[in-house]
Amino acid sequence: MKKLSSIWILAVLVFLISCDKTPIIPGGGTDIPVAKIVGTLEIEFRVPGSFLGPSRVLRADLSIAKDAESLYKGHFLEMANVYNSKLMYQFDLAPGVYYYQAGIICVAEGDSCSAASFPGGKFGMKWAIGTVEVKQDATVHVIPQFTN
Amino acid sequence: MATGFLASCETAIEINSTNQDVPIVYCVLNSADSIQYVRIQKTYLIDQAALNNPPDQDSMLFTGQIVVSMERWSAGKVVETYQFTETNEIPKDSGFFPYQKNILYKAKIKVVANQVYRLYIYLGSKEKVLYAEASSLGRLNVIDPLPLQQRKISLYDGNNYTCRWDQVINAGVYQVSLRLKYKETLYGVTSLKYLDWPQPFASPGSDVDYLSIDISGARFMHILQDNLKSEDGLVREVVGIDFQIVSGSIEMKYYIESTSPSEGALMEKPVYGNINNGIGLFCSVARIDVKNLLLSPVTIDSMAYGQFTRKLGFLDHTLDRDSTNNF
Repeated sequence: MKKLSSIWILAVLVFLISCDKTPIIPGGGTDIPVAKIVGTLEIEFRVPGSFLGPSRVLRADLSIAKDAESLYKGHFLEMANVYNSKLMYQFDLAPGVYYYQAGIICVAEGDSCSAASFPGGKFGMKWAIGTVEVKQDATVHVIPQFTN
Repeated sequence: MATGFLASCETAIEINSTNQDVPIVYCVLNSADSIQYVRIQKTYLIDQAALNNPPDQDSMLFTGQIVVSMERWSAGKVVETYQFTETNEIPKDSGFFPYQKNILYKAKIKVVANQVYRLYIYLGSKEKVLYAEASSLGRLNVIDPLPLQQRKISLYDGNNYTCRWDQVINAGVYQVSLRLKYKETLYGVTSLKYLDWPQPFASPGSDVDYLSIDISGARFMHILQDNLKSEDGLVREVVGIDFQIVSGSIEMKYYIESTSPSEGALMEKPVYGNINNGIGLFCSVARIDVKNLLLSPVTIDSMAYGQFTRKLGFLDHTLDRDSTNNF
């Protein structure tokens, strides 16, 4: 009888241990994926081609705001660090509609910038502004469009 | 035999031998400057703690004739020769410098890239010539940041900045340093202040187009919290941020490694030096300053209202302190 109860206890123990499917990670963490409560906005920031050389028109600004008024007033939610060498920029945002703006700047000498329709000549900027809806657990891809 | 036995019984140890007046020389050729400096001192010995009983100037500096000259070599030939003159135009830095005047030797030298420079120092009092050789660095080309104020820098939690530059010929070590500039107003008095944040040293990579270092936005906020004091009535306004990118020669890399804290069993490392007939360092650096960049509005608002920095008195990007602003 005593032997039977020992086997029974052992079986229960084995069952309980085997029920724990969560692997223990040193440091107290687990590898259980945390539910993603955000979506991803991916902006492909292309610099439009022109008769100016590629190093004469540069990325200058990439900002996200929650509405048009905030965008206009410069109250941004996120501002990316933009680089000449980086094309894709990602933002993790709560689901919803956002406004984005992308700015390019002309650094060419003389009247080249004016000729390329950059207002004010050298250091003149052009802007591409648009809206985008970010959905939970999804990546939305945007390519800002610059006019003229 | 008895004499030898008695002599060998001498157990007294002379702890402090007589001072040898060993020359100490430091010269860092700076390609960003048109004036180069050499500092010459000598070793000294005193019986008590130096801080309580600082040595007099004569025991730290050589007297008598001192001739400092430098040669620029190219393709195995001397191209230029420079003579240094004594100056005390640079004030003493803070720290333990127990002499009245900060005596240096200076010469007008515009450092040419990828050349060999030889330093000669004649010390009349010791009838000794010191000699050292170092190569100047190649051109330092910074890729990011560009000197564009329109391209604002974002440094906040979740947004890092990547600083990039091309590899420099003859360089052994690199360092990027950030300088945050801000106005501080207290009791109606406004002053311009700055906070320097040097980044860890970076080493040259192999087979890479460029070198880079990631500057953590979250760490930036902690640096502000740790280094700036909060006080009632204190108001701070962000002015801008400067980047300084420095590359040092291989000699400088060895020197930094030899003077950095030990991590292994070898607690006392010999300090690297390349001065013949003396101790010290002759090396070269190249430096680029990218000044007067602007921080992004999101960064400034994070400094004003973020959990680590909200008590530091920074104004937000609208120059307000109203935390109910719904940014």
